[in-house]
Amino acid sequence: MNQGMTRREFLQKGLTIVAMGATAPSFLTRTALAMGNPFDVAQVSNRPGVPDDHVLVVVQMGGGNDGLNTLVPFTDDAYYRARPRLAVSRNEVIRITGDLGFHPRMAKLKEMLDRGNMAVIQGVGYPNPNRSHFKSMEIWHTADPEGRSLRVGWIGRYFDSKCPGCEQPTVGFNVGPTMPLAMRSEGGQGVTLDNPDAFQWMPSVDGIGAREELEIFRMLNAPAPNEPGTIDFLRHTAMNAVLSSDRVREAMRAYRGGIDYPNNRFAFSMRLIAQMIAGRLPTKVYYAHMTGFDTHAGQQGVHDALLEQLSTGVEAFYRDLEAQGNAERVLVIAFSEFGRRVAENGSNGTDHGTAAPVLVFGKRIRPGLHGQQPSLTDLQSNDLKHHVDFRSVYATVLDGWLGAEPAKILGADFARVPFLV
Amino acid sequence: MQQILPRYTPTSSDPWDRTKAAHLLNRAGFGGRPEEIDHVLRLGPEAAVDDLMAFGRVPESFAPPDFTSLRSLWETVAGLYRTNASNRQRFEARAIAQRADNEKLQELREWWVSRMIQTRRPLQERMVLFWHGLLVSGRPEVRFVENLYNQNELFRRHALGNFKALILAVARDPAMLEYLDNESNRKGRPNENFARELLELFTMGVGNYTEEDIKEAARAFTGWTRRDYQFFFDARQHDDGPKTFMGRTGNLDGGDIVDVVFEQPATARYLPRRLFEYFGYLRPEDDVVDGLATVFRQSAFEVAPVVRAILTSRAFYSPKAIRTQVKSPAQLVVGTVRLLGVDAIPIAQLVRAMDLMGQALFNPPNVGGWPRGESWITTATILARYNFSSLILTGGMFGVARRPATRPALPPEALKAATVSQTAGDAVDRLTALLVNGAMGDAKKAPLLKALGAPGPRAGFSAASAEGEAKFRSVLHLLMCSPEYQLA
Repeated sequence: MNQGMTRREFLQKGLTIVAMGATAPSFLTRTALAMGNPFDVAQVSNRPGVPDDHVLVVVQMGGGNDGLNTLVPFTDDAYYRARPRLAVSRNEVIRITGDLGFHPRMAKLKEMLDRGNMAVIQGVGYPNPNRSHFKSMEIWHTADPEGRSLRVGWIGRYFDSKCPGCEQPTVGFNVGPTMPLAMRSEGGQGVTLDNPDAFQWMPSVDGIGAREELEIFRMLNAPAPNEPGTIDFLRHTAMNAVLSSDRVREAMRAYRGGIDYPNNRFAFSMRLIAQMIAGRLPTKVYYAHMTGFDTHAGQQGVHDALLEQLSTGVEAFYRDLEAQGNAERVLVIAFSEFGRRVAENGSNGTDHGTAAPVLVFGKRIRPGLHGQQPSLTDLQSNDLKHHVDFRSVYATVLDGWLGAEPAKILGADFARVPFLV
Repeated sequence: MQQILPRYTPTSSDPWDRTKAAHLLNRAGFGGRPEEIDHVLRLGPEAAVDDLMAFGRVPESFAPPDFTSLRSLWETVAGLYRTNASNRQRFEARAIAQRADNEKLQELREWWVSRMIQTRRPLQERMVLFWHGLLVSGRPEVRFVENLYNQNELFRRHALGNFKALILAVARDPAMLEYLDNESNRKGRPNENFARELLELFTMGVGNYTEEDIKEAARAFTGWTRRDYQFFFDARQHDDGPKTFMGRTGNLDGGDIVDVVFEQPATARYLPRRLFEYFGYLRPEDDVVDGLATVFRQSAFEVAPVVRAILTSRAFYSPKAIRTQVKSPAQLVVGTVRLLGVDAIPIAQLVRAMDLMGQALFNPPNVGGWPRGESWITTATILARYNFSSLILTGGMFGVARRPATRPALPPEALKAATVSQTAGDAVDRLTALLVNGAMGDAKKAPLLKALGAPGPRAGFSAASAEGEAKFRSVLHLLMCSPEYQLA
């Protein structure tokens, strides 16, 4: 990790350092900087023209979302031939164009689309698709279709590009059990939290006193030079946890609420993100998870429910953001590691496939359909051919929403998909 | 290729010592108390491994959960589907059975954690955990908790048995048939779920087969289904046409697929690597894996010789291995309870604490199993790990239980250390020895002395007063809330 600081950075950050005291360990100093103002002034600001207060929310639809039953080609006979039991019937589809429409459980998203707050990028994938959950997810997370098992993710590389060597605990905020590889950066990992009520360290009772104990706790957990990697990693994570837990609880207290969310895990995650945004956490990228899209058997009930959760969760989230006055600042993209096989299997399910739509939500977007619906007859090994490389979606977001240089982060530049204003 | 993994032999510069004895108990079990470490130290590295592996000689019996009434609830549901009962009747009966099944699952989770805590065969339970994380099944896909229990017992019977036999058993295991949908894998329109994970996650690893191989293997497993709690071969749903799998053509069935899989070089390397990563360290060197693969092949895929080779290898006792493993939540929770003799915390709370740390037994995150190494650690899970110490010492933990008005008694082993300590330095030394096998130097001990309120190590200490006892608890808490304690 880079311990140095340029003169310019020093001048910009000087005030905070003085406040921290000259003896603060460099890690804590850098963390304090990050906590106070992670993406401040020149070194971390966006390119001119891209507002600095933009926030990105990534929704991961884990397991492989059935794109064909999400955006349904309801005039295509090949669709109905391939899916005698699972196809969404023509008269149930929520029509968008003459031949494409949403799954009936996506009514709330149709409303968002009609209000101009949703875009669908069709047929997103990558060359030589991998049908392993883990490999394909890794490819999406690292933006490396070669699947070379990189240790840093595409969002992490974006953090690194903005503030090399910085430890910025709350710049990336994951809601869910494990930190996604996409968010891992050279500077460490961001905040992960599942249950805000449990996100606080507990001192013992009646010992030397809670405050003294916390002080000793910090000493025992503070990073020290020349320690083996895993211990060092544990120390950084522990300190990030303790420092960010105060910020998280502050944000929770500041949140006014009053918005109805559905009663499920995904909605809780989106609500927590809305709370953090309301609390002005200095976070650039939030990450939320949905699981259960791996519908090899008995797909119908499961997939229907998931699409409804996605729709109602995102809709409630934007309703919340509107009430807060933050809707303009937030872009959501929802992706899955792959779509599913065109033809259904004998278990009323679908096996692993390839290209699928990526869904985008926001106020400052070009709504509607982008890209091209993959053909159901011109297939490759019974699977859809992609038309948009997923790195084009990333490049568009990095460039247009986060004001970063895509080539630096993705290794090469990719054509933009014009879904941002 | 026929190289053998170099064994660890004690030398004067690399002696068999307490650190290594503790290391063996940490990795092949749930850690050891001082007297257990002494015992292993006396045995020496070879005999100690023999001792751990010969668990079959240790008598042990745990009464299984009782599934009788749950079975009859599910039978009632099945009966309603055979008659012309109304949908509402069926739905209500289902809801009742499902609720009872969920309660039984909770009982099973507590049963297993109690067993891990009490077992005198720690390596066997560590192997059951290993198989549960490798040959994954769980909720919500597995609807019948009895199947999960039976799978758990299967793993226990095969703990150190033959891997090929285990894979064949797992392919017929009702919980697995539910979890990866092979129960509905039918002739004509096969379901690829089990076939894919069999190759990718259970035996060979990604990149060693083609998509076509998966499709053909899926055909071979058609008709392998279950009737309630038993495997059932449904000949009408089995595709007995010719198939080509990894170069072999014929009317292959599931057993033939397993035969071909076990002829692949990738299979000889895959499990040994996973085992070494479980006991030793992640990303082992190629020659370590080569050596283990040779042992594995030569023994016709017996697991015991591979485990023995790992636990007696030089690599296992190298600095790269010792105190470098992030404890899994099971290691941390069960290990702490065993080490301190904790007996005042309800098992349900221990299970819940493990959930918050990311290891919900019988409900792994996905078919890839549990996180490993640093992936266990996030800002959320590290706080859960640290707050678990509060559960032990105060009875309260965020997300698990409110702090009760009265504290639970100091765990017996901690009390023992407190009672015999005469000076502050002595108390701190005893606790660090007990918890982190001396992995903390004087620099880290100084803050702990401060927590005892002692000006220096020679200051007198007594746990007899309430104040002394509380400060002792404080030090214990701080130690359990240290990065060092997260490593084994």
